[in-house]
Amino acid sequence: MKNDVLRIAVAESSVIVRNGVLAILRRMPDVGTHSQIIELTSMTALQNCIQTHMPDILIVNPAFEGWFDIDNFKSDSLTAGIKCVALVCNITGQNILKKYDEVIDLFEDEDSFYRKIEALSKTDEDDSELETEALSLREKEIIICVVKGMTNKEIADKLFISIHTVITHRRNISRKLQIHSPAGLTIYAIVNKLVELSEVKM
Amino acid sequence: MNHNSVKFRPSDKMGDLISSDYKLLLVMSRFGLSLGFGEKTVAQVCEENGVDCVTFLAVANFIHEGNNRMEGEVSDISIVALMGYLKQAHSYFLDFSLPAIRRKLIEAIDCSAKNEIAFLILKFFDEYVGEVRRHMEYEDMNVFTYVNQLLEGKTDENYNISIFARRHNQIEMKLVEFKNIILKYYPEKGNNNLLNAVLFDIFSCEEDLASHCMVEDFLFVPVVRQLEKEKGI
Repeated sequence: MKNDVLRIAVAESSVIVRNGVLAILRRMPDVGTHSQIIELTSMTALQNCIQTHMPDILIVNPAFEGWFDIDNFKSDSLTAGIKCVALVCNITGQNILKKYDEVIDLFEDEDSFYRKIEALSKTDEDDSELETEALSLREKEIIICVVKGMTNKEIADKLFISIHTVITHRRNISRKLQIHSPAGLTIYAIVNKLVELSEVKM
Repeated sequence: MNHNSVKFRPSDKMGDLISSDYKLLLVMSRFGLSLGFGEKTVAQVCEENGVDCVTFLAVANFIHEGNNRMEGEVSDISIVALMGYLKQAHSYFLDFSLPAIRRKLIEAIDCSAKNEIAFLILKFFDEYVGEVRRHMEYEDMNVFTYVNQLLEGKTDENYNISIFARRHNQIEMKLVEFKNIILKYYPEKGNNNLLNAVLFDIFSCEEDLASHCMVEDFLFVPVVRQLEKEKGI
């Protein structure tokens, strides 16, 4: 469940600028319920954060505590996966900025701020259009099997599909219904008359 | 910690603190402070009850602000006091808050034999409570034991606080799911004040659990990490 949460860390020494960025992030649609925003006031805090709460996105002033060593950060295998956004408050050279994944300017407007963060937070599996889609017949069949207590292997055999396909279907079901547990699926299935209570595996 | 950058200070009256944020009532009682504090300041109330004022205010300010702020230095916070607080919070959730929600739930949903859903809802809830119990017992047994040993100077090659931090999950997420199922799928008939009341309780418990996990992640973990550094880990 941890993987569902997007962690955004903001490392900036100026309290005014930092809180400004935090306020904009909190107002961002979809942020809040699915994201965790971390405020970092010093380099030590950033190091602690990496050890204990690895962020997905780091918004950092290239002049953080004098000089933020982006080369080192990007070459270290521990931190290489973090997407870095330069928060530019002073004149900074292009050759430095191009090392960042994205650049946000002090005078950035809200829409373009959101677009940039949103683009960085997208993973390969993301396909938000699917979210509103109704369940397919196949997915309903899978739900019925799950609430009857069948394993993925048993479902695969019964429906003549691969285990991998079963897992993909289950993931799509979770996303469409926002239900991740078998207990929740059971309630959904009964209420929507997919199964009778007597058929349910307790 | 810089006292100028926070909302509540030792010289504030305890009454003002609670009036400006009633969630702090929970913080007070988890630290073992009771009502009837009159016109006393936070520092006075803490001192009279033998509570570490810095740690109390660190938690109070953290919960009030709702920001996950990490600073370089956290040295003033007492680990022992913070652990005591966290243990009390665990016992509050497991022994008071969640059982109270369960009782209200039984009252609110029609538990007669013809209501199949009621049974499933309770089962789901019980499973969730079981999960919370395992989550908190792990912390009580493993994490706090580890920290107590660390305080005594004993180190453990196979464990450190970063391991805990990385596997620490947001325990309120499944409660969110539970609540959403009631909201979306519970076949309610007419007006049901009781069900609304229990939903309110679930919302507030969810918020409380989330903020509890935040205290662990952003106050407790950094303090322990600092202690580890001092011990050369």
